[in-house]
Amino acid sequence: MTVQIPIETLHPTMRMLSDEQIRAIHHTSLDILERTGIVMVHEAARALLLEAGAWESDGRIKIPERVVMSAIGLAPSRILMHNRLGQLTMPLEEGKVFFGTGSDCPFTLDLESGARRPSRVEDAQRFARLCDGLEQIDFCMTMASASDVPVQDHYLHDFVAMIRGSVKPNVYTARDRADIEDIYRIACAVAGGEAELREKPFLMLYAESISPLLYNEDSVGKLLFCAEKGIPVTYPPSPNTGGGGPVTLAGSLALGNAECLVGLILAQLVRPGTPFLYGMNTAALDMKSAIVSYGAPEWPTGMAAWCDLARWYGLPVWGAAGASDSKVIDTQAGIEATVTVMAAFLTRCNLVHDVGYIEYGTTSSMEMVVIADEIIRDVRYMMGGVEVSERTLAREAIDRAKPGGGFLADDHTLSHWKWAQWRPDLIDRSRYDTWVARGKKDMATRANERVHKILATREVPPLPVEAEEAVAEVLARRSA
Amino acid sequence: MADLLEKIASRLYEGEDEEVAELVQGALDKGLAPGVILQEGLIAGMDQVGRDFKAGELFVPEVLIAARAMHAGMNVLRPFLTESEAPSAGKYVIGTVKGDLHDIGKNLVKMMLEGAGFETIDLGTDVAPEAFVNAVRDHRPVLVGMSALLTTTMVQMKATIEALEEAGLRGSIKIMIGGAPVTDAYAAQIGADAYAPDAASAVDVARSLAA
Repeated sequence: MTVQIPIETLHPTMRMLSDEQIRAIHHTSLDILERTGIVMVHEAARALLLEAGAWESDGRIKIPERVVMSAIGLAPSRILMHNRLGQLTMPLEEGKVFFGTGSDCPFTLDLESGARRPSRVEDAQRFARLCDGLEQIDFCMTMASASDVPVQDHYLHDFVAMIRGSVKPNVYTARDRADIEDIYRIACAVAGGEAELREKPFLMLYAESISPLLYNEDSVGKLLFCAEKGIPVTYPPSPNTGGGGPVTLAGSLALGNAECLVGLILAQLVRPGTPFLYGMNTAALDMKSAIVSYGAPEWPTGMAAWCDLARWYGLPVWGAAGASDSKVIDTQAGIEATVTVMAAFLTRCNLVHDVGYIEYGTTSSMEMVVIADEIIRDVRYMMGGVEVSERTLAREAIDRAKPGGGFLADDHTLSHWKWAQWRPDLIDRSRYDTWVARGKKDMATRANERVHKILATREVPPLPVEAEEAVAEVLARRSA
Repeated sequence: MADLLEKIASRLYEGEDEEVAELVQGALDKGLAPGVILQEGLIAGMDQVGRDFKAGELFVPEVLIAARAMHAGMNVLRPFLTESEAPSAGKYVIGTVKGDLHDIGKNLVKMMLEGAGFETIDLGTDVAPEAFVNAVRDHRPVLVGMSALLTTTMVQMKATIEALEEAGLRGSIKIMIGGAPVTDAYAAQIGADAYAPDAASAVDVARSLAA
């Protein structure tokens, strides 16, 4: 046979909202912005909005549709995230899905004792090194809110520890504008200058307004700073169902969409083209414990819906997966992480954070990150779809097979087995006797061993000398 | 010379069938004893495959690709082997028991045993107790291996052992069994000599029984 036109492989996707549903949510968001209005505490941001065509009544800022839509038109459809060595490793654009950890856990599961203890600054660095050594993890967040440094400076210490621990792109948090100015100084020293940082950004700010509808001084100040400098920012509000948002997902999505778009408008008013990552967090506020659930099905359901909204607007999008409400690494943790990772892939969420959270984001776990790495690899296989071609249809092999005899030793198997099948790493498929002989280890034990192995062997290029000098200068000034 | 044998073993390990055949021919041309080429080249290579497979470092297809290279080497070597040098680990009769048509696991064990130097007589699947008896009578093996995938056919292992006892052949052979539902305890219960949980262990078990 001559070489024929290949049959295209379908890669599975998921849609949560119909076009009609998207428009209905969008229209409600426009109503919220124009009729209900927001409370803007930040003076400069308020002036910007008023100048752009918003108005003030009943103590609220009201934003008309034309301001919203023109800002959406100005925002980039993609954000090219680099690693700190200047290589493009994370283009946040349609169809691509990248995973990373989460920020600011007050506690961590100690790798040696398994005990839940306050996070330390060394944890941020170790988590980053772990992420650096995991092939399915594309970016880092701190995973730690260090308790062993001055509390007002912990964001800075955690940021420095994180960039020392990994070259991968990062998403960072900061307390206020002063924090972010120092982080920016260090980042410029890493990249080699302001222009270099803008051209090849390796960091993205994560800040958020307070749902519902409140825009405070600090979060808006950080957002505006990023826009002034033209560096990436995400500003996802958290209208959790029954907490910061209405108890129903549609209402939370409409509110979250409106709130997020205010951040987008501000960024584009300051500097058209500011790289802005759209998104929100619509988890469920649990009606027994009042925690915000990271494992609830409302999360993947809501995420798929706001990813549909993002696609409709033509914006790159933020989400979360691989996290759990469980207090330990157990079956619940596996269920919750798997459902969300699969949803993130199916909905083509561009930047997926919170991988490795347990205890509804209060505690970090290195074992959980490693397990999620395996889950991501597992689900990624499924996203590959089914190749249908001459080599995969295996006509000749089927033709020559002895009925009942199997294909195990057939040449077709021996030629294609390496790519045709997915192979587990942490997941155990050994025979019972082998598993017993190897010490009857469960998943959490194997994950713990893998963490140890990566931490013992992973080498990460150090920060440039200029960057360490900037770090030393900033930290000295702070401790003075 | 030792280098050449090591090379045969290592190329066999990598599954390079054509190269193994050429190397075996080269070793013969240099005057190496066929028995030495077999033991220190081919079987040494296959032993390493078996060890690494058992340790979880190799996958089944890699073992099979190595076994294919072993066959390629054997095809060159066989005409030169004298009776006493021929695969000397012993004769091994193998089959899937009556009522059971599952072939794959049994074939895997067979290939591993051949790699270890056993001469196997494969009776196929759905092998009745009488057929095992006849094969033992005709071939005089040291070992008989039985496979079953189903709990419903596993009982045929017991029937086969009884048939071998009735024919007066049980004392001349060792019997090992395997398959998904089979356990050590079941082997003891029906009077088999050993149980092997997987194809790599089967080689070790067979060797210790044949020793």
